[in-house]
Amino acid sequence: MKDKIRTLSSAIRVLTTVALWLSATGLVLMTAFIAWQVYGRFVLNDTPTWTETSSVLLMGWFILLGAAVGIREGNHLSFDVLLFVLPDRVKRVFYTVSDIVVIAFALGMVVYGIQLASNAWSTTIPNLGFSGGIVFLALICGGILMVLFSVERILRRMVGLPTARFGEDPVEED
Amino acid sequence: MELFVLFGTFAVLLLIGTPVAFCLGVSSFATIAYLGLPPVVVFQRLNSGISVFALMAIPFFIYAGELMVRGDIARRLVALAGSVVGHLRGGLGQVNIAASVLFGGISGSAAADASAIGGLMIPQMEERGYGKDYAVNITVVSSIIALMLPPSHNLIIYSISAGGKISIADLFTAGILPGLILAMSLMVAAWLVAKKRGYATEPFPGGRAMLALLINATPGLILVAIIFGGVRSGIFTASESSCIAVVYAIGVTIVVYRSLSWSDFVAATMGAVRTASMVLLVIGSAAAFGWLLAYLRVPATLVEMMKGVSENPIIILLLLNVLLLFLGTFMDMSPLIVITTPIFLPVAMAYGVDPVHFGIILILNLGIGLCTPPVGAVLFVGCAVGRIGVGEVFRTIWPFYGAAVATLMLVTYIPALSLWLPALFR
Amino acid sequence: ETTFRSSDTHPEGYPTVTAVEYMGELLEERSDGRLCIEVFHSAQLGEEKDTIEQTQLGVIDMNRVSLGPFNNIIEETKVFSLPYIFRSTDHMHNVVDGEIGDAILAEFENHGLVGLAYYDGGSRSFYNSQKPITSKDDIEGLKFRVMQSDVFVDMVDALGGNATPMPYGEVYSSIQTGVIDGAENNWPSFESSGHYEVAGYYTLDQHLIVPEVLVMSKAAYDKLSAEDQALVRQAAKDSVPVMREQWEAREAASEEKVRAAGVEIVEDIDKTPFIEAMVPVYEKHVTSEKLKSLVEQIQAVD
Ligand code: NA
Ligand code: NA
Repeated sequence: MKDKIRTLSSAIRVLTTVALWLSATGLVLMTAFIAWQVYGRFVLNDTPTWTETSSVLLMGWFILLGAAVGIREGNHLSFDVLLFVLPDRVKRVFYTVSDIVVIAFALGMVVYGIQLASNAWSTTIPNLGFSGGIVFLALICGGILMVLFSVERILRRMVGLPTARFGEDPVEED
Repeated sequence: MELFVLFGTFAVLLLIGTPVAFCLGVSSFATIAYLGLPPVVVFQRLNSGISVFALMAIPFFIYAGELMVRGDIARRLVALAGSVVGHLRGGLGQVNIAASVLFGGISGSAAADASAIGGLMIPQMEERGYGKDYAVNITVVSSIIALMLPPSHNLIIYSISAGGKISIADLFTAGILPGLILAMSLMVAAWLVAKKRGYATEPFPGGRAMLALLINATPGLILVAIIFGGVRSGIFTASESSCIAVVYAIGVTIVVYRSLSWSDFVAATMGAVRTASMVLLVIGSAAAFGWLLAYLRVPATLVEMMKGVSENPIIILLLLNVLLLFLGTFMDMSPLIVITTPIFLPVAMAYGVDPVHFGIILILNLGIGLCTPPVGAVLFVGCAVGRIGVGEVFRTIWPFYGAAVATLMLVTYIPALSLWLPALFR
Repeated sequence: ETTFRSSDTHPEGYPTVTAVEYMGELLEERSDGRLCIEVFHSAQLGEEKDTIEQTQLGVIDMNRVSLGPFNNIIEETKVFSLPYIFRSTDHMHNVVDGEIGDAILAEFENHGLVGLAYYDGGSRSFYNSQKPITSKDDIEGLKFRVMQSDVFVDMVDALGGNATPMPYGEVYSSIQTGVIDGAENNWPSFESSGHYEVAGYYTLDQHLIVPEVLVMSKAAYDKLSAEDQALVRQAAKDSVPVMREQWEAREAASEEKVRAAGVEIVEDIDKTPFIEAMVPVYEKHVTSEKLKSLVEQIQAVD
């Protein structure tokens, strides 16, 4: 069982790397777009009208993918005062409850993201021409990753493998 | 009852250690379900909450900060600060504070300040015989300066939470004087504690050495000029300046200092993505939470309640400060800004407080919260960098808290400290 | 007792907000206190695009919105957002108060909404910090902030300006520092945003006289008895003259303040070259037969 989950973890780790690189590329592209916007307006006196909307779009992608990665790496801020004083056994139960809460919300992101995307599918984003539905694809993809990563955390905890928490050293994976 | 569901779910999840973003999201989800409304609203708010152009300044300033730490800009600023104030009583403590002023003037993040300046200063201070607790105390509390001095992405979060109608340029300018006053009162505290403990001073390095260090740090300092000059001369807007800071930081560290390798660049980008996406997800879920607060008329009810307590703005401001300080010990800054602004700003404005002034009070107040247990991101960063326990630091941090709270009171009751400079520039 | 939640992005005291509050008073009085309206002003519940969706979902009951965000949803509304489609405010009133207005209002029912009434949104004109615009040539090369909308961008480009989309909150300091040269809006917004402090020239070309609408959620509407539905419709109708009156008063007050501040106002301007420049804009955006016929019908109204 432990070995199976280790195998699963290494597959998921690849997914994390991909998501993180996509996210980072998003940030670099955003930088380039806004820099181009300033250059176009100030130097060329011809403001590119696509930069603002497209960087906002990229930002949505990088936030939701990055936040999903944050679930796996335990980057998210939380309040652990109560947890400090609790025995490990209870702590683990609470960690699992938290992971389930994250799964519930992430499933909502997927289900309602699909609803929002289909509602907006026939609209177009001004000055960009894409369908308004693609805005919500980030919500859907981020949600799917969050579900996956949280399930992995629960499985790892069940077989006694470590999972990362905010403020702790990252978990070394083999 | 709806409020009970909203706040009850939030409190329970928070206590069992669920990440804050999800406490906000799921408690909104639960309340919407309880009200029998379509839950899709929660996710619409989440999506709209993160699709705001002005928010872009947050990842950009975080990114610029990462680049400056990894690309040697921060270290050069510390060296310069050392030559200027190192000879004062409490020498390296004063240097630590001055470095926060310099670094804070180009970075908007207290955590970045604590890790950058702390990482450089704490080992040096320890080596010269300063108490570790003293080094960490100063590092932690002086990092609030970075929040007050422009640029400050937290002020941008405030402006957005207030409905985007408060000028970011005004807020940035308004933070300057309070930030400098905070620096000065911390220097006084550092001086007093150093005197009591008998700490040494650094020799004055002489004008020539100082000049060399100044030249060395100039490319970093120019960033301040570029941001301010660029915004003031109409080349870019206040929120675009964050992007220019990134471009400039990349340029300086790669071309001028040649200190940023490809792997440093990747690490800085990944670091920025990790931090920024976490902060922004909280802002997104808080948009859902804030929508429910408005829908359930919480701000309006609170204003009524406050009016029942007192008609006196001095007392109301004190009350708001105490409430915020209390909340700030338990929660982190950005979620608190987004949650409390829609509630407290109308209260403050009902008593004639200027929204720019209130923003500065809010940021300074919540900045203090970053340095207090049980939840204090900056305190943890400082303790982690200094490898010292939170309890040990907390025993001797009081003079510095005192200085910060005294500054908060000055800023609260003398509106001119916040409003005089922006009026001058307008 | 039912209280309808109504959304508005404008602040407390704005004519659209007070009009809906007035409608609420009428409704409360006529229903013996059974039906009330609470206005959530200042975009407390979200920006227009989002609150429209919330109204369609039945989360909020009523919504006062501009027509722009509907252009994507209801094709017919596009026609009101075309530059220079209305010759004057009176022309706009005649159109929306007549058959065309009713027909378009009826379209909302296919999208989960009930169109209750048209409100005024004022007429938008250009202002800038550089020079008085007395002819189309004066616009050449000036940077104007526009909303994120294809029609707006195309309009400014067709006039020879440099269309610059930008969030509203950054406009004041951007005109002040010279990031942009100007923007465009109606009297009340020009005044309340303080933009007149930094943009000293206002040219009343009235390129857009766009009405706004008060809509109700179909879900909330269908829950009412037939009598109550009639009460709601009538109260909305009765709020329109009050709204127009208040709008005029507000416009006049803003105008007075702006004039007193010494802003140079260009009033008599030959609009013909401006209208002629719109030919490619109309070609690009008036694509269907339905829209073409609507444009003709509107032009035929007095
Ligand atoms: Na700063
Ligand atoms: Na704290």
